[in-house]
Amino acid sequence: MKNRFSLFSFALKNIRRKAVRSTMLAAAIMLLTASIVFAVSFITRVHSGIALMTSRLGADIMVVPTGSRGAAEEVLLENKVKSFYMDGSVVDRVRRIEGVEEVTSQTYLVTLTALCCSVPESIVVAFDQKSDFIVRPWLAEKLRRPLKKGEAIVGHESAFNINVGLVEIDSMLFGNVFRMVGVLDKTGTGLDNAIFISDENITDIMRSGTAGIKPGQVSIAFVKVRKGFDARTVANAVENNILEADAVMRKDIGKRIIQTLRDVSGIFTAAVVLAALLSGFLAWTVFSAVANERAREVGIMRAIGARESDVVRLFLWEVLLIAVAGSLLGIVGGTALSVVLVRSFVLLKDLAGDLGFAVRILIAIGGLGAGVAVCVIGALSPLRRIKKLEPLGAMKEA
Amino acid sequence: MALLVLEGITKVYEAAGETIRAVGGVSLTVEKGEFISIVGHSGSGKTTLLSIIGGLVRPTSGTILCKGADIGTLDSDGLAQYRAERIGFMFQFASLLPVLTAKENLMLPLLFQRGDGSAKEDGGRKAEELLRRVGLSDKINAYPAQLSGGQQRRVAIARAFMNEPEIILADEPTGDLDEGTEEDMMQFFQAMNREQGVTFIMVTHNRDLARRASRQFSMTNGVHVEHARP
Repeated sequence: MKNRFSLFSFALKNIRRKAVRSTMLAAAIMLLTASIVFAVSFITRVHSGIALMTSRLGADIMVVPTGSRGAAEEVLLENKVKSFYMDGSVVDRVRRIEGVEEVTSQTYLVTLTALCCSVPESIVVAFDQKSDFIVRPWLAEKLRRPLKKGEAIVGHESAFNINVGLVEIDSMLFGNVFRMVGVLDKTGTGLDNAIFISDENITDIMRSGTAGIKPGQVSIAFVKVRKGFDARTVANAVENNILEADAVMRKDIGKRIIQTLRDVSGIFTAAVVLAALLSGFLAWTVFSAVANERAREVGIMRAIGARESDVVRLFLWEVLLIAVAGSLLGIVGGTALSVVLVRSFVLLKDLAGDLGFAVRILIAIGGLGAGVAVCVIGALSPLRRIKKLEPLGAMKEA
Repeated sequence: MALLVLEGITKVYEAAGETIRAVGGVSLTVEKGEFISIVGHSGSGKTTLLSIIGGLVRPTSGTILCKGADIGTLDSDGLAQYRAERIGFMFQFASLLPVLTAKENLMLPLLFQRGDGSAKEDGGRKAEELLRRVGLSDKINAYPAQLSGGQQRRVAIARAFMNEPEIILADEPTGDLDEGTEEDMMQFFQAMNREQGVTFIMVTHNRDLARRASRQFSMTNGVHVEHARP
């Protein structure tokens, strides 16, 4: 099929005529779009990571030892290896508070790398299988039975550390041999890096003297609130009645990170606004030069029958082609940057979860829209001037 | 009904505090298929009169009727449509777009005629045929920079016929051409006038060319005088 001559092909030729200038403008739009895509991907990933984690936990309130809220979030959100303990009686006291439907506890034990034949440093989660509603759904997908004493199941990421695959292996945990009976699916929480055991193993572990835990201690209690009760009211009641515990509502989990994120967002926003202003100014400069250089050509076009809208359409094609090319490159660059920098940013590296394809597409569409809009807005004033050129005057002026 | 009726057309410019009367009260009736020539010195108002007829400049006073329709009432887009459908321009200066080939320069008016920004399927064939008729069949894909001044002029001449206009407004159309090519172009104009009934209004300095028109006018200080038919 032969290429038909159209305003589009005409616009392409005009762009090629000043290739360096067009490339510079496209590069500016590319940088703008890349910074938008990267910033939005970064912020969205942190938010979605936190949202994913809190939804997978399935608890309305998290009760931790006073002052350990940050450490608990670091374990749950950022895969950090931390231990913190409170008296196990807290769990029963929480259970008695009005509005509490279910409570389950978990005890976080830190393995020691130095210990001979043990797994690398990681969190071991001892959970109460009777009351548990956090791990049970994950376990149900993989094991379909409760864990026995001396058995462990490993989180998705931990499996790589201790070489657990299709075959069951025995590993040393706190001087005790544990049979690793499987690998959990990815949950999107920091607990993907943990090893899960039943809490009936704790006595044996304490006997080994390597875990640093006292009898009867737990790390965290997860609470489900009864229907019709307000989670905040229940959380306040927990804090008022149990002085040695802090209560964190599901929606407040990750607040510390989100607060930090606000500062980062501010920096991103300032950088994006600056890039947008510079790109818009560059578009204005380029198309102002175009308007001056091609006034005579526009006059000729008008004289041979071009309407104002034809002239606008021709120049809009040029603006759009440059803007879309720059924006598409920016989307690729921004997405690649967000993927590559995940490994460098501690916050993203440790935070579970990733952006889905649909979210990435939405961010890309947003980036494309922003890149194109800035370029069009920048070129608008010169375009208006070109449109209004009087044919004869334009032909004579140049 | 006459193709064109000009009644009391005047054009007055203000320049550097001075009032310049470029066209002063021109009244003229042009029938379809006429070949009109206008001669006159530089600054006599010939080009301004052509620009007014072509809707490139609005007259200060007077009316122009094209097939009974007053073009003075048309807005900017209406005038563009009038030019796209009825007028073919030949300018006295180089008027090709440098990024387009000879063929594409010819197809340019078609982009504006259709309104959807694309040329008709048969536009390419028509452009090639017109380029052949002006002796440039070997320059179809040449860019203006690859053509001599005379060749560029012939491309611009061919372009004026692309939209099948009823009226050709030619402003010194053969100014850059050697005698032989000038004669070829005049024969081409006369053939188009005779075969397709295209109406010509041609401004020229060349009195020999002017005499080949069916009606001759001369202009002095914006005022025209019709000469007796040869």
